Amino acid sequence: MSAATTMEEPALRLASVTKSFGPIEVIQGVDLDIRPGERHAVIGPNGAGKSTLFNLISGMFPPSSGDIRLNGRSIAGLSPYRINRAGLARSFQITNIFHRLSVFENLRIGVLARHGVRYGLFRSIARMRRVNEETADVLERVGLAARGADLAGDLTYSEQRALEIGMTLTTGADVILLDEPTAGMSREETAEAVALIRSVTQGKTLLMVEHDMSVVFSLCDRVSVLVYGSILATDTPECISANRDVQEAYLGKEAS
Amino acid sequence: MRNISILVAILALAIAVPPFLGIAWQNALVNVLIASLFALAFNLLIGQAGLLSFGHAAYFGIGAFAALHLMIAIEDGLAFPTPLVPLAGAAAGLLVGIVAGYFATMRSGVYFALVTLAIAELFHSLAPHLQGLFGGESGVSSMRMPWQGIIFGSLIEVYYLTLGWVLTCGLALWAYTRTPFGRLTLALRDNEQRVQFLGYNAHAAKVIVFAVSAMASGVAGALLAISNETANYSLFATDVSAQVVLQTFVGGSTVFFGPVFGAAAFTLFAFLVSDLTRSWVFYQGLIFVLVMLYAPTGIGGVIAYHARHRRQLDWSRLAGPYALALVGGLLVAAGVVYLTETVAVLFGEGYAVRMRDAGGSLPRYDLFGVSWDPAGILTWLLPLILIGAGGAVLVRARRSIAGFWNRMGRTEALAAATPEPAGGTA
Repeated sequence: MSAATTMEEPALRLASVTKSFGPIEVIQGVDLDIRPGERHAVIGPNGAGKSTLFNLISGMFPPSSGDIRLNGRSIAGLSPYRINRAGLARSFQITNIFHRLSVFENLRIGVLARHGVRYGLFRSIARMRRVNEETADVLERVGLAARGADLAGDLTYSEQRALEIGMTLTTGADVILLDEPTAGMSREETAEAVALIRSVTQGKTLLMVEHDMSVVFSLCDRVSVLVYGSILATDTPECISANRDVQEAYLGKEAS
Repeated sequence: MRNISILVAILALAIAVPPFLGIAWQNALVNVLIASLFALAFNLLIGQAGLLSFGHAAYFGIGAFAALHLMIAIEDGLAFPTPLVPLAGAAAGLLVGIVAGYFATMRSGVYFALVTLAIAELFHSLAPHLQGLFGGESGVSSMRMPWQGIIFGSLIEVYYLTLGWVLTCGLALWAYTRTPFGRLTLALRDNEQRVQFLGYNAHAAKVIVFAVSAMASGVAGALLAISNETANYSLFATDVSAQVVLQTFVGGSTVFFGPVFGAAAFTLFAFLVSDLTRSWVFYQGLIFVLVMLYAPTGIGGVIAYHARHRRQLDWSRLAGPYALALVGGLLVAAGVVYLTETVAVLFGEGYAVRMRDAGGSLPRYDLFGVSWDPAGILTWLLPLILIGAGGAVLVRARRSIAGFWNRMGRTEALAAATPEPAGGTA
């Protein structure tokens, strides 16, 4: 670790973030710095609070205490759309798309948001060439060019997952949160998804929840292990897999 | 092109025919136009945004009262062109729509429906007490003032004014679906949560949709005020809110212009049947239930379905079953009407008196120009035969129609499943 990288302002900083649902503290003081441009995975056993952590960062609900900063600006407790406009986009573990719209339209909604024509009431959408071109471009990049006119609900599962990632990219955010992007995929589908994620997050900051260690190893620069709502360790994938505490808490169970 | 030529043909009829009709028919057509615009405005919410409002009478009524107040001001000498009076309805609808929509759209689904219902009831209960705004129980009245040589004295002038406004607003609402915001509205219907995570303030967006819908409803209300030259608090009644829901669903909320069919059907039905029988509201309800059960996409949905498959439609094989279904439907309808009217006579006010006069025995009664014996076998056998025979015919017709569509569906699926190279060599 050079001094320059540690001095650099983190793209995303979580400081003593907690979240309680009633008497249960699901997130128990998480400190985490995500460096600009890195690919960072959060791993941990089921129920460790990974999805809750993502929901706190993306504004689904506010943290009970602590601060979340995006490029130095506090976003803790902001509504999801404000956080998105501040430059953070997320995907969902359970596919969360517009089922009755075409694949193209699913992507165009986000592209429109980036172009600032969110509530355009007096222009024909068919004439907005740049928006439509950019949408076609994203469609191409996520490998769904042939499916553009089909209803999103009619896509196969792995195609919907690709669309899910595509939608996350459209708003032009430079911090991307992906929640288990390869969950439920076959080996080949997973390999394709990894290649897709690698190419589309080029030049962006990626934070992802992932169960599949092979995906983490092939994709991520650093890994944080979340156990019972707090970070056990943060390090490179190699060091993490060699870490004794981590093996005991998490990896050991799968290795044995 | 095909759609445009159909539209032009309908428009030509709508312009050319009414002058040759009687006053009653002209008035009925004005009401059809107003109901059509109201239903299109309402369907912006349920069809596009997926929001079911049970209180759209509020914005319809507000539009009517706003128009009347402007007309009174014109009467008192304000230099405002009478044809533009609906602008007052639009402005009032928009304003009230923003405020009411702000609260109603905080929730979705059932809660949204209940809040809209409550807001309309609020107007309905307050209006009779607000003498200045809503004219108390008797309401507000005014006169259409002449403008630029147009007297607005005859109904046909009102008809053309209404036609112009309904066309303009209808097309504007259609254009709305082609704008970025129109596409966002569909996305809201599908998945409000994701819309928020894509950088949109979903609540603000829903308020805008609601306000646009209320604005167009206000124009429809204003047109009614111009036509009737009066309005009272009954415009806010639940009945008005319910009518637009029924019309929209019978017309078909999934097709943009579908609600127009429902509005036309219900308005003309009321016009034609309400003088003939007091049971017409019952028949209207029956039609609604049947459409929901057997053609849930409504009249517009059925037409759109046929239009979509027009190339595959083999009318030589379809015309027979359809005609059979019509015959069966008419038989069942005859039986149901006969039963309904008989019950209406036997349990009506007049018959009880006659029964007392007859000393407890069942006197004969007249219906459909024939004298019937309430205790006669034929009296009760006839409707059963009609309904039974009609039902049997309907079942048969339905089977062959379903068979036709299934066969077509299979061919379609087969064509889709056949890989391209194989198709090429064949």
